[in-house]
Amino acid sequence: MTAIEIRNLSKTFGPVRAVDDVSFSVESGTVTGYLGPNGAGKTTTLHCLLGLVTADGGTALVNGRPYSALERPLAEVGAVLEATSFHPGRTARDHLRVICTAAGLPASRADEALEQVGLAGSAGKRVAGFSLGMRQRLALGTATLGHPRVLILDEPANGLDPAGIEWLRGFLRTLAHEQGVAVLVSSHVLSEVQQTVDNVVIIARGRLVHQGSLEELTGNGDRPVRVHAADAARLVPALEARGARVERPADGVLRVHGVGAEAVGQAVLDEGVLVTELVRERSDLQEIFMELTREK
Amino acid sequence: MALVRSELQKLFTTRLWWIMLIVMLLFTGLNLGFLIGFAGVEGTQGAPGLPGRETLAFQQSAWTAGAGSSIFVMVLGIIMMTSEYRYQTITTTFLATPRRSRVVTAKLVAGLLVGLLFGVAALLLTAAAVIPSVLIAGGEVALLDGGIPRIMLGVVATSALYTLFGIGLGALVRNQIAAVVGAIVWVFVVESLLAAVPALQTVGKFTPSGAARSLIAVQIDSGFGQADLLPSWAGASVLVAYALIFALIASLTTVRRDIT
Repeated sequence: MTAIEIRNLSKTFGPVRAVDDVSFSVESGTVTGYLGPNGAGKTTTLHCLLGLVTADGGTALVNGRPYSALERPLAEVGAVLEATSFHPGRTARDHLRVICTAAGLPASRADEALEQVGLAGSAGKRVAGFSLGMRQRLALGTATLGHPRVLILDEPANGLDPAGIEWLRGFLRTLAHEQGVAVLVSSHVLSEVQQTVDNVVIIARGRLVHQGSLEELTGNGDRPVRVHAADAARLVPALEARGARVERPADGVLRVHGVGAEAVGQAVLDEGVLVTELVRERSDLQEIFMELTREK
Repeated sequence: MALVRSELQKLFTTRLWWIMLIVMLLFTGLNLGFLIGFAGVEGTQGAPGLPGRETLAFQQSAWTAGAGSSIFVMVLGIIMMTSEYRYQTITTTFLATPRRSRVVTAKLVAGLLVGLLFGVAALLLTAAAVIPSVLIAGGEVALLDGGIPRIMLGVVATSALYTLFGIGLGALVRNQIAAVVGAIVWVFVVESLLAAVPALQTVGKFTPSGAARSLIAVQIDSGFGQADLLPSWAGASVLVAYALIFALIASLTTVRRDIT
Protein backbone atom coordinates (compact mmCIF):
# COMPACT_ATOMS: atom_id res chain seq x y z
CA MET A 1 0.00 0.00 0.00
CA THR A 2 1.28 3.45 -0.88
CA ALA A 3 1.47 5.45 2.33
CA ILE A 4 3.24 8.56 1.09
CA GLU A 5 2.97 9.89 -2.41
CA ILE A 6 4.78 12.96 -3.61
CA ARG A 7 4.09 14.07 -7.16
CA ASN A 8 5.85 16.90 -9.03
CA LEU A 9 6.32 18.83 -5.81
CA SER A 10 7.88 22.30 -6.11
CA LYS A 11 8.58 25.06 -3.62
CA THR A 12 10.48 28.32 -4.05
CA PHE A 13 11.74 30.51 -1.23
CA GLY A 14 12.57 33.89 -2.73
CA PRO A 15 15.19 33.25 -5.40
CA VAL A 16 15.89 29.70 -4.20
CA ARG A 17 14.15 26.78 -5.80
CA ALA A 18 14.23 24.60 -2.68
CA VAL A 19 12.26 21.68 -4.14
CA ASP A 20 12.06 21.28 -7.89
CA ASP A 21 9.58 18.82 -9.42
CA VAL A 22 10.23 16.00 -6.95
CA SER A 23 8.20 12.77 -7.16
CA PHE A 24 8.52 9.59 -5.12
CA SER A 25 6.44 7.27 -3.00
CA VAL A 26 6.84 5.22 0.17
CA GLU A 27 5.15 1.84 0.68
CA SER A 28 3.85 0.46 3.97
CA GLY A 29 6.23 -1.88 5.73
CA THR A 30 9.36 -0.34 4.27
CA VAL A 31 11.99 2.11 5.43
CA THR A 32 12.88 4.70 2.83
CA GLY A 33 15.95 6.86 3.23
CA TYR A 34 15.59 10.42 1.94
CA LEU A 35 19.15 11.47 1.34
CA GLY A 36 20.98 14.54 0.21
CA PRO A 37 23.52 17.09 1.37
CA ASN A 38 22.48 19.88 3.72
CA GLY A 39 20.28 22.39 1.94
CA ALA A 40 19.24 19.91 -0.76
CA GLY A 41 15.54 20.39 -0.02
CA LYS A 42 14.83 17.42 2.25
CA THR A 43 13.29 19.37 5.12
CA THR A 44 11.21 21.52 2.77
CA THR A 45 9.80 18.39 1.14
CA LEU A 46 8.86 16.93 4.51
CA HIS A 47 7.33 20.22 5.69
CA CYS A 48 5.20 20.36 2.52
CA LEU A 49 4.11 16.79 3.18
CA LEU A 50 3.07 17.71 6.74
CA GLY A 51 1.15 20.83 5.74
CA LEU A 52 3.57 23.17 7.51
CA VAL A 53 4.70 24.71 4.24
CA THR A 54 2.41 25.40 1.29
CA ALA A 55 3.85 23.97 -1.92
CA ASP A 56 3.94 26.11 -5.07
CA GLY A 57 3.05 23.16 -7.24
CA GLY A 58 2.44 19.43 -7.22
CA THR A 59 0.89 17.28 -4.51
CA ALA A 60 2.05 15.57 -1.34
CA LEU A 61 -0.35 12.95 0.02
CA VAL A 62 -0.38 10.80 3.13
CA ASN A 63 -2.71 7.81 2.95
CA GLY A 64 -4.12 9.33 -0.23
CA ARG A 65 -5.03 12.70 1.28
CA PRO A 66 -3.30 16.00 1.99
CA TYR A 67 -2.18 16.20 5.63
CA SER A 68 -4.58 19.04 6.43
CA ALA A 69 -7.52 16.85 5.35
CA LEU A 70 -6.73 14.05 7.82
CA GLU A 71 -9.41 13.65 10.48
CA ARG A 72 -7.08 12.52 13.26
CA PRO A 73 -3.62 13.35 11.92
CA LEU A 74 -1.59 12.04 14.87
CA ALA A 75 -3.29 8.65 14.65
CA GLU A 76 -2.22 8.39 11.01
CA VAL A 77 1.12 10.16 10.80
CA GLY A 78 3.93 10.67 13.28
CA ALA A 79 6.67 13.19 12.61
CA VAL A 80 10.05 13.92 14.17
CA LEU A 81 11.27 17.36 13.09
CA GLU A 82 13.75 19.68 14.79
CA ALA A 83 14.92 18.42 18.14
CA THR A 84 14.45 21.81 19.75
CA SER A 85 10.69 22.16 19.46
CA PHE A 86 9.83 21.84 23.15
CA HIS A 87 9.04 24.45 25.77
CA PRO A 88 12.09 24.26 28.05
CA GLY A 89 10.03 24.88 31.19
CA ARG A 90 7.61 22.01 30.61
CA THR A 91 8.29 18.47 31.75
CA ALA A 92 8.54 15.62 29.25
CA ARG A 93 5.32 14.05 30.52
CA ASP A 94 3.40 17.33 30.39
CA HIS A 95 4.66 17.97 26.88
CA LEU A 96 3.17 14.68 25.73
CA ARG A 97 -0.04 15.15 27.74
CA VAL A 98 -0.72 18.51 26.11
CA ILE A 99 -0.55 16.80 22.73
CA CYS A 100 -2.65 13.84 23.90
CA THR A 101 -5.40 16.27 24.92
CA ALA A 102 -5.30 18.15 21.62
CA ALA A 103 -5.30 14.91 19.61
CA GLY A 104 -8.02 13.23 21.66
CA LEU A 105 -5.70 10.49 22.93
CA PRO A 106 -5.86 9.13 26.49
CA ALA A 107 -3.37 10.80 28.86
CA SER A 108 -1.97 7.37 29.71
CA ARG A 109 -0.34 7.27 26.26
CA ALA A 110 2.17 9.85 27.47
CA ASP A 111 3.79 7.49 29.98
CA GLU A 112 3.60 4.54 27.58
CA ALA A 113 5.40 6.51 24.89
CA LEU A 114 8.08 7.67 27.35
CA GLU A 115 8.61 4.06 28.37
CA GLN A 116 8.92 3.03 24.72
CA VAL A 117 11.67 5.55 23.98
CA GLY A 118 13.54 4.91 27.23
CA LEU A 119 12.69 8.18 28.97
CA ALA A 120 10.42 6.85 31.72
CA GLY A 121 12.99 7.90 34.33
CA SER A 122 13.00 11.52 33.14
CA ALA A 123 9.24 11.93 32.69
CA GLY A 124 8.93 14.54 35.43
CA LYS A 125 12.00 16.57 34.45
CA ARG A 126 11.87 19.86 32.62
CA VAL A 127 13.01 19.61 29.01
CA ALA A 128 15.53 22.44 29.59
CA GLY A 129 17.84 19.90 31.23
CA PHE A 130 17.62 17.36 28.42
CA SER A 131 20.56 16.48 26.18
CA LEU A 132 20.14 16.57 22.42
CA GLY A 133 19.84 12.78 22.41
CA MET A 134 17.09 12.86 25.04
CA ARG A 135 15.24 15.50 23.02
CA GLN A 136 15.42 13.26 19.96
CA ARG A 137 13.97 10.41 21.98
CA LEU A 138 11.22 12.68 23.29
CA ALA A 139 10.49 13.80 19.73
CA LEU A 140 10.21 10.15 18.73
CA GLY A 141 7.87 9.55 21.67
CA THR A 142 5.78 12.50 20.48
CA ALA A 143 5.62 11.05 16.98
CA THR A 144 4.43 7.63 18.11
CA LEU A 145 1.76 8.85 20.57
CA GLY A 146 -1.13 8.02 18.26
CA HIS A 147 0.25 4.67 17.00
CA PRO A 148 0.58 6.07 13.47
CA ARG A 149 0.98 3.86 10.40
CA VAL A 150 3.24 6.41 8.75
CA LEU A 151 6.36 7.81 10.37
CA ILE A 152 8.33 10.76 8.99
CA LEU A 153 11.70 11.64 10.51
CA ASP A 154 13.97 14.56 9.66
CA GLU A 155 17.62 13.86 10.54
CA PRO A 156 16.68 11.81 13.62
CA ALA A 157 20.24 10.64 14.19
CA ASN A 158 21.52 14.18 14.85
CA GLY A 159 22.80 14.37 18.39
CA LEU A 160 22.48 10.65 19.09
CA ASP A 161 25.54 8.79 20.31
CA PRO A 162 26.53 5.53 18.56
CA ALA A 163 24.45 3.47 20.99
CA GLY A 164 21.50 5.79 20.38
CA ILE A 165 21.86 5.44 16.62
CA GLU A 166 21.94 1.65 16.97
CA TRP A 167 18.79 1.79 19.13
CA LEU A 168 17.08 4.05 16.58
CA ARG A 169 17.88 1.62 13.75
CA GLY A 170 16.30 -1.25 15.64
CA PHE A 171 13.30 0.89 16.58
CA LEU A 172 12.62 1.89 12.95
CA ARG A 173 13.21 -1.61 11.54
CA THR A 174 10.82 -3.17 14.05
CA LEU A 175 8.14 -0.61 13.29
CA ALA A 176 8.44 -1.11 9.53
CA HIS A 177 9.15 -4.81 9.13
CA GLU A 178 7.11 -6.22 12.02
CA GLN A 179 4.30 -3.70 12.37
CA GLY A 180 4.01 -2.66 8.73
CA VAL A 181 4.59 1.03 9.34
CA ALA A 182 5.79 3.15 6.41
CA VAL A 183 8.94 4.99 7.48
CA LEU A 184 10.49 7.93 5.64
CA VAL A 185 13.76 9.05 7.21
CA SER A 186 15.94 11.87 5.97
CA SER A 187 19.67 12.12 6.46
CA HIS A 188 22.70 13.84 5.01
CA VAL A 189 24.95 10.94 5.99
CA LEU A 190 24.36 7.80 3.97
CA SER A 191 26.20 5.50 6.36
CA GLU A 192 23.80 6.50 9.14
CA VAL A 193 20.82 4.92 7.40
CA GLN A 194 22.58 2.45 5.11
CA GLN A 195 21.90 -0.50 7.43
CA THR A 196 18.29 0.47 8.06
CA VAL A 197 16.74 1.45 4.77
CA ASP A 198 15.11 -0.72 2.12
CA ASN A 199 14.88 2.04 -0.46
CA VAL A 200 16.66 5.28 -1.07
CA VAL A 201 15.56 8.54 -2.60
CA ILE A 202 18.42 10.94 -3.27
CA ILE A 203 17.93 14.65 -3.77
CA ALA A 204 20.47 17.33 -4.65
CA ARG A 205 19.83 21.05 -5.19
CA GLY A 206 16.10 20.43 -4.99
CA ARG A 207 16.03 17.80 -7.72
CA LEU A 208 15.64 14.05 -7.48
CA VAL A 209 18.79 12.26 -8.61
CA HIS A 210 18.04 8.65 -7.71
CA GLN A 211 15.17 6.52 -6.49
CA GLY A 212 15.27 2.79 -5.94
CA SER A 213 16.52 -0.01 -3.72
CA LEU A 214 19.88 0.16 -2.04
CA GLU A 215 21.09 -2.75 -4.25
CA GLU A 216 20.21 -0.83 -7.38
CA LEU A 217 22.35 1.99 -6.15
CA THR A 218 25.37 -0.20 -5.51
CA GLY A 219 24.73 -2.28 -8.61
CA ASN A 220 25.16 0.74 -10.80
CA GLY A 221 28.85 0.92 -10.07
CA ASP A 222 31.59 -1.09 -11.76
CA ARG A 223 33.09 -3.43 -9.17
CA PRO A 224 36.71 -4.15 -10.10
CA VAL A 225 38.77 -7.09 -8.86
CA ARG A 226 41.83 -6.23 -6.79
CA VAL A 227 44.87 -8.47 -7.06
CA HIS A 228 47.94 -8.32 -4.85
CA ALA A 229 50.93 -10.20 -6.31
CA ALA A 230 54.66 -9.57 -6.10
CA ASP A 231 54.99 -10.44 -9.78
CA ALA A 232 51.84 -8.61 -10.83
CA ALA A 233 53.27 -7.40 -14.13
CA ARG A 234 53.28 -10.93 -15.54
CA LEU A 235 49.49 -11.12 -15.18
CA VAL A 236 48.70 -8.05 -17.23
CA PRO A 237 48.99 -9.54 -20.76
CA ALA A 238 46.99 -12.63 -19.76
CA LEU A 239 44.23 -10.47 -18.30
CA GLU A 240 44.13 -8.14 -21.27
CA ALA A 241 43.90 -11.16 -23.56
CA ARG A 242 40.69 -12.03 -21.70
CA GLY A 243 39.25 -8.58 -22.46
CA ALA A 244 40.02 -6.94 -19.13
CA ARG A 245 41.12 -3.37 -18.59
CA VAL A 246 43.91 -3.27 -16.02
CA GLU A 247 44.94 -0.44 -13.70
CA ARG A 248 48.12 -0.48 -11.64
CA PRO A 249 47.47 1.84 -8.71
CA ALA A 250 50.63 0.73 -6.88
CA ASP A 251 53.55 -1.64 -7.16
CA GLY A 252 52.33 -5.23 -6.90
CA VAL A 253 48.65 -4.20 -7.04
CA LEU A 254 46.27 -4.54 -9.98
CA ARG A 255 42.70 -3.33 -10.35
CA VAL A 256 41.00 -5.38 -13.02
CA HIS A 257 37.90 -3.98 -14.69
CA GLY A 258 35.48 -5.65 -17.08
CA VAL A 259 35.87 -9.28 -16.08
CA GLY A 260 34.73 -11.33 -13.10
CA ALA A 261 36.80 -12.72 -10.24
CA GLU A 262 36.66 -16.19 -11.77
CA ALA A 263 38.34 -15.01 -14.99
CA VAL A 264 41.07 -13.31 -12.96
CA GLY A 265 41.59 -16.50 -10.94
CA GLN A 266 41.90 -18.50 -14.14
CA ALA A 267 44.57 -16.11 -15.44
CA VAL A 268 46.47 -16.44 -12.16
CA LEU A 269 46.31 -20.24 -12.42
CA ASP A 270 47.40 -20.23 -16.08
CA GLU A 271 50.36 -17.92 -15.43
CA GLY A 272 51.38 -19.66 -12.20
CA VAL A 273 51.76 -16.37 -10.32
CA LEU A 274 51.85 -16.30 -6.51
CA VAL A 275 48.92 -14.17 -5.33
CA THR A 276 48.56 -12.87 -1.79
CA GLU A 277 45.13 -11.32 -2.22
CA LEU A 278 42.36 -11.53 -4.76
CA VAL A 279 39.16 -9.76 -3.92
CA ARG A 280 36.16 -8.23 -5.62
CA GLU A 281 36.08 -4.64 -4.43
CA ARG A 282 32.98 -3.54 -2.59
CA SER A 283 31.55 -0.47 -4.16
CA ASP A 284 31.69 2.45 -1.79
CA LEU A 285 28.16 3.72 -1.20
CA GLN A 286 29.37 6.98 0.22
CA GLU A 287 31.41 7.55 -2.94
CA ILE A 288 28.40 6.85 -5.16
CA PHE A 289 26.35 9.15 -2.99
CA MET A 290 28.95 11.91 -3.25
CA GLU A 291 29.15 11.40 -7.01
CA LEU A 292 25.37 11.67 -7.40
CA THR A 293 25.00 14.77 -5.27
CA ARG A 294 28.14 16.64 -6.33
CA GLU A 295 27.81 20.26 -7.43
CA LYS A 296 27.90 20.31 -11.18
CA MET B 1 -13.28 21.75 23.58
CA ALA B 2 -10.33 19.33 23.61
CA LEU B 3 -8.24 22.06 22.01
CA VAL B 4 -9.22 24.58 24.67
CA ARG B 5 -8.27 22.08 27.38
CA SER B 6 -4.97 21.49 25.62
CA GLU B 7 -4.30 25.24 25.56
CA LEU B 8 -5.10 25.57 29.27
CA GLN B 9 -2.81 22.61 29.95
CA LYS B 10 -0.05 24.35 28.01
CA LEU B 11 -0.39 27.42 30.21
CA PHE B 12 -0.64 25.62 33.53
CA THR B 13 2.30 23.27 32.91
CA THR B 14 4.81 26.13 32.76
CA ARG B 15 5.73 28.68 35.40
CA LEU B 16 4.61 31.74 33.50
CA TRP B 17 1.01 31.84 34.76
CA TRP B 18 1.74 32.03 38.46
CA ILE B 19 4.63 34.46 37.98
CA MET B 20 2.24 36.73 36.07
CA LEU B 21 -0.44 36.20 38.71
CA ILE B 22 1.92 37.25 41.50
CA VAL B 23 3.14 40.29 39.56
CA MET B 24 -0.44 41.27 38.78
CA LEU B 25 -1.48 40.92 42.44
CA LEU B 26 1.57 42.86 43.63
CA PHE B 27 0.76 45.71 41.27
CA THR B 28 -2.89 45.69 42.31
CA GLY B 29 -1.77 45.60 45.94
CA LEU B 30 0.47 48.61 45.35
CA ASN B 31 -2.44 50.54 43.86
CA LEU B 32 -4.64 49.60 46.79
CA GLY B 33 -1.97 50.55 49.29
CA PHE B 34 -1.68 53.96 47.71
CA LEU B 35 -5.45 54.49 47.66
CA ILE B 36 -5.91 53.36 51.25
CA GLY B 37 -2.84 55.14 52.58
CA PHE B 38 -3.68 58.49 51.07
CA ALA B 39 -7.45 58.25 51.55
CA GLY B 40 -8.89 61.36 53.19
CA VAL B 41 -5.55 63.17 53.12
CA GLU B 42 -6.06 66.75 52.09
CA GLY B 43 -4.09 68.09 49.19
CA THR B 44 -1.82 71.12 49.46
CA GLN B 45 -3.53 74.46 50.12
CA GLY B 46 -6.60 72.66 51.40
CA ALA B 47 -7.56 71.24 48.00
CA PRO B 48 -9.71 68.11 48.23
CA GLY B 49 -7.54 64.96 48.06
CA LEU B 50 -8.66 61.37 47.75
CA PRO B 51 -12.03 60.55 49.38
CA GLY B 52 -11.95 59.31 52.95
CA ARG B 53 -12.07 55.62 53.79
CA GLU B 54 -15.56 55.79 55.25
CA THR B 55 -17.08 57.17 52.03
CA LEU B 56 -18.72 55.34 49.19
CA ALA B 57 -16.52 57.24 46.73
CA PHE B 58 -13.46 55.62 48.33
CA GLN B 59 -14.93 52.17 47.88
CA GLN B 60 -15.84 52.90 44.30
CA SER B 61 -12.35 53.95 43.36
CA ALA B 62 -10.68 51.17 45.40
CA TRP B 63 -12.66 48.45 43.69
CA THR B 64 -11.29 49.55 40.31
CA ALA B 65 -7.72 48.87 41.41
CA GLY B 66 -7.66 45.48 39.64
CA ALA B 67 -8.32 47.06 36.26
CA GLY B 68 -4.99 48.87 36.41
CA SER B 69 -3.22 45.55 36.09
CA SER B 70 -4.65 44.69 32.71
CA ILE B 71 -1.26 45.21 31.07
CA PHE B 72 -0.13 42.02 32.81
CA VAL B 73 -2.92 39.83 31.45
CA MET B 74 -2.30 41.38 28.07
CA VAL B 75 1.35 40.34 28.25
CA LEU B 76 0.20 36.89 29.41
CA GLY B 77 -2.02 36.65 26.32
CA ILE B 78 0.83 37.78 24.06
CA ILE B 79 3.16 35.17 25.53
CA MET B 80 0.51 32.41 25.29
CA MET B 81 0.63 32.92 21.54
CA THR B 82 4.20 33.99 20.80
CA SER B 83 5.99 31.40 22.97
CA GLU B 84 4.74 28.79 20.51
CA TYR B 85 6.79 30.51 17.83
CA ARG B 86 9.68 31.28 20.13
CA TYR B 87 10.15 27.64 21.17
CA GLN B 88 8.90 26.26 17.84
CA THR B 89 6.23 24.27 19.63
CA ILE B 90 3.91 25.70 17.00
CA THR B 91 5.12 22.89 14.71
CA THR B 92 3.82 20.21 17.05
CA THR B 93 0.65 22.21 17.66
CA PHE B 94 -0.10 22.49 13.94
CA LEU B 95 0.77 18.81 13.35
CA ALA B 96 -1.91 17.85 15.89
CA THR B 97 -4.36 20.44 14.54
CA PRO B 98 -3.62 21.24 10.89
CA ARG B 99 -6.55 23.66 10.67
CA ARG B 100 -4.73 26.61 12.14
CA SER B 101 -7.69 28.90 12.71
CA ARG B 102 -9.01 26.31 15.17
CA VAL B 103 -5.80 26.66 17.18
CA VAL B 104 -6.21 30.45 17.31
CA THR B 105 -9.87 30.08 18.34
CA ALA B 106 -8.97 27.62 21.10
CA LYS B 107 -6.33 30.02 22.39
CA LEU B 108 -8.83 32.88 22.45
CA VAL B 109 -11.32 30.83 24.46
CA ALA B 110 -8.60 29.62 26.84
CA GLY B 111 -7.35 33.20 27.21
CA LEU B 112 -10.84 34.43 28.02
CA LEU B 113 -11.11 31.86 30.84
CA VAL B 114 -7.67 32.69 32.21
CA GLY B 115 -8.44 36.40 32.05
CA LEU B 116 -11.66 35.84 34.03
CA LEU B 117 -9.65 33.93 36.62
CA PHE B 118 -7.09 36.71 36.95
CA GLY B 119 -9.88 39.29 37.23
CA VAL B 120 -11.50 37.31 40.05
CA ALA B 121 -8.14 36.98 41.80
CA ALA B 122 -7.68 40.76 41.64
CA LEU B 123 -11.17 41.25 43.11
CA LEU B 124 -10.45 38.85 45.96
CA LEU B 125 -7.31 40.78 46.84
CA THR B 126 -9.25 44.04 46.64
CA ALA B 127 -11.95 42.68 48.94
CA ALA B 128 -9.32 41.59 51.45
CA ALA B 129 -7.92 45.12 51.55
CA VAL B 130 -10.99 47.32 51.14
CA ILE B 131 -13.48 45.67 53.49
CA PRO B 132 -11.28 45.81 56.60
CA SER B 133 -10.12 49.35 55.93
CA VAL B 134 -13.72 50.57 55.50
CA LEU B 135 -14.78 48.80 58.69
CA ILE B 136 -11.86 50.20 60.64
CA ALA B 137 -12.72 53.71 59.44
CA GLY B 138 -16.26 53.13 60.68
CA GLY B 139 -17.83 53.25 57.25
CA GLU B 140 -20.51 50.99 55.82
CA VAL B 141 -19.31 48.28 53.44
CA ALA B 142 -21.13 48.49 50.13
CA LEU B 143 -20.96 45.34 48.04
CA LEU B 144 -24.30 45.14 46.26
CA ASP B 145 -25.13 48.79 45.87
CA GLY B 146 -23.50 52.09 45.02
CA GLY B 147 -22.50 50.76 41.58
CA ILE B 148 -19.99 48.34 43.14
CA PRO B 149 -21.31 45.18 41.37
CA ARG B 150 -20.95 46.96 38.04
CA ILE B 151 -17.40 47.95 38.84
CA MET B 152 -16.56 44.35 39.84
CA LEU B 153 -18.05 43.05 36.62
CA GLY B 154 -16.09 45.68 34.74
CA VAL B 155 -12.80 44.62 36.32
CA VAL B 156 -13.34 40.95 35.48
CA ALA B 157 -14.47 41.79 31.94
CA THR B 158 -11.49 44.08 31.39
CA SER B 159 -9.12 41.35 32.52
CA ALA B 160 -10.73 38.74 30.25
CA LEU B 161 -10.86 41.02 27.22
CA TYR B 162 -7.29 42.24 27.63
CA THR B 163 -6.09 38.64 27.58
CA LEU B 164 -7.99 38.16 24.32
CA PHE B 165 -6.48 41.35 23.01
CA GLY B 166 -2.99 40.07 23.88
CA ILE B 167 -3.57 36.78 22.10
CA GLY B 168 -4.83 38.51 18.97
CA LEU B 169 -1.85 40.86 19.01
CA GLY B 170 0.56 37.96 19.60
CA ALA B 171 -0.87 36.01 16.68
CA LEU B 172 -0.40 39.02 14.46
CA VAL B 173 3.15 39.93 15.49
CA ARG B 174 4.56 36.45 16.33
CA ASN B 175 7.83 37.94 17.63
CA GLN B 176 7.53 37.85 21.42
CA ILE B 177 9.78 40.78 22.27
CA ALA B 178 8.38 42.98 19.54
CA ALA B 179 4.82 42.24 20.64
CA VAL B 180 5.45 42.85 24.35
CA VAL B 181 7.47 46.02 23.79
CA GLY B 182 4.88 47.26 21.29
CA ALA B 183 2.07 46.62 23.78
CA ILE B 184 3.86 48.43 26.60
CA VAL B 185 4.72 51.45 24.45
CA TRP B 186 1.13 51.55 23.26
CA VAL B 187 -0.39 51.39 26.73
CA PHE B 188 2.01 53.71 28.55
CA VAL B 189 2.81 56.22 25.85
CA VAL B 190 0.23 56.36 23.09
CA GLU B 191 -2.86 55.60 25.13
CA SER B 192 -1.87 57.82 28.03
CA LEU B 193 -1.55 60.73 25.64
CA LEU B 194 -4.81 59.97 23.89
CA ALA B 195 -6.63 59.63 27.20
CA ALA B 196 -5.18 62.69 28.87
CA VAL B 197 -5.46 65.34 26.17
CA PRO B 198 -9.10 66.43 25.81
CA ALA B 199 -8.73 67.19 22.13
CA LEU B 200 -7.69 63.59 21.56
CA GLN B 201 -10.28 61.97 23.81
CA THR B 202 -12.70 61.43 20.96
CA VAL B 203 -10.04 59.06 19.60
CA GLY B 204 -8.87 57.96 23.03
CA LYS B 205 -12.18 56.49 24.07
CA PHE B 206 -11.91 53.99 21.23
CA THR B 207 -8.50 52.69 22.33
CA PRO B 208 -8.45 49.47 24.38
CA SER B 209 -7.80 51.24 27.65
CA GLY B 210 -10.33 53.97 26.86
CA ALA B 211 -12.85 51.24 26.21
CA ALA B 212 -11.81 49.46 29.39
CA ARG B 213 -12.29 52.63 31.44
CA SER B 214 -15.86 52.88 30.24
CA LEU B 215 -16.42 49.36 31.61
CA ILE B 216 -15.51 50.35 35.14
CA ALA B 217 -16.94 53.86 34.64
CA VAL B 218 -14.48 55.48 36.94
CA GLN B 219 -14.63 59.24 36.70
CA ILE B 220 -11.03 60.30 36.78
CA ASP B 221 -10.55 64.01 36.85
CA SER B 222 -7.30 64.49 35.00
CA GLY B 223 -7.44 68.22 35.45
CA PHE B 224 -8.96 68.74 32.06
CA GLY B 225 -12.54 68.11 33.14
CA GLN B 226 -14.69 65.01 32.84
CA ALA B 227 -13.24 62.29 30.63
CA ASP B 228 -15.20 61.55 27.48
CA LEU B 229 -16.07 57.85 27.55
CA LEU B 230 -18.19 55.37 25.64
CA PRO B 231 -21.20 53.64 27.21
CA SER B 232 -20.05 50.43 28.87
CA TRP B 233 -21.70 48.09 26.36
CA ALA B 234 -19.90 49.91 23.57
CA GLY B 235 -16.65 49.75 25.53
CA ALA B 236 -16.94 45.97 25.83
CA SER B 237 -17.74 45.69 22.13
CA VAL B 238 -14.71 47.79 21.24
CA LEU B 239 -12.40 45.51 23.29
CA VAL B 240 -13.92 42.34 21.82
CA ALA B 241 -13.63 43.85 18.36
CA TYR B 242 -9.93 44.60 18.87
CA ALA B 243 -9.24 41.02 19.91
CA LEU B 244 -11.31 39.46 17.13
CA ILE B 245 -10.05 41.77 14.39
CA PHE B 246 -6.43 41.11 15.39
CA ALA B 247 -7.09 37.36 15.57
CA LEU B 248 -8.89 37.39 12.23
CA ILE B 249 -6.18 39.38 10.46
CA ALA B 250 -3.61 37.08 12.06
CA SER B 251 -5.45 33.97 10.89
CA LEU B 252 -5.43 35.31 7.36
CA THR B 253 -1.80 36.45 7.38
CA THR B 254 0.89 35.50 9.89
CA VAL B 255 -0.72 32.29 11.13
CA ARG B 256 -1.00 31.03 7.57
CA ARG B 257 2.66 31.52 6.84
CA ASP B 258 5.02 28.65 6.18
CA ILE B 259 6.60 27.07 9.24
CA THR B 260 10.22 26.54 8.32
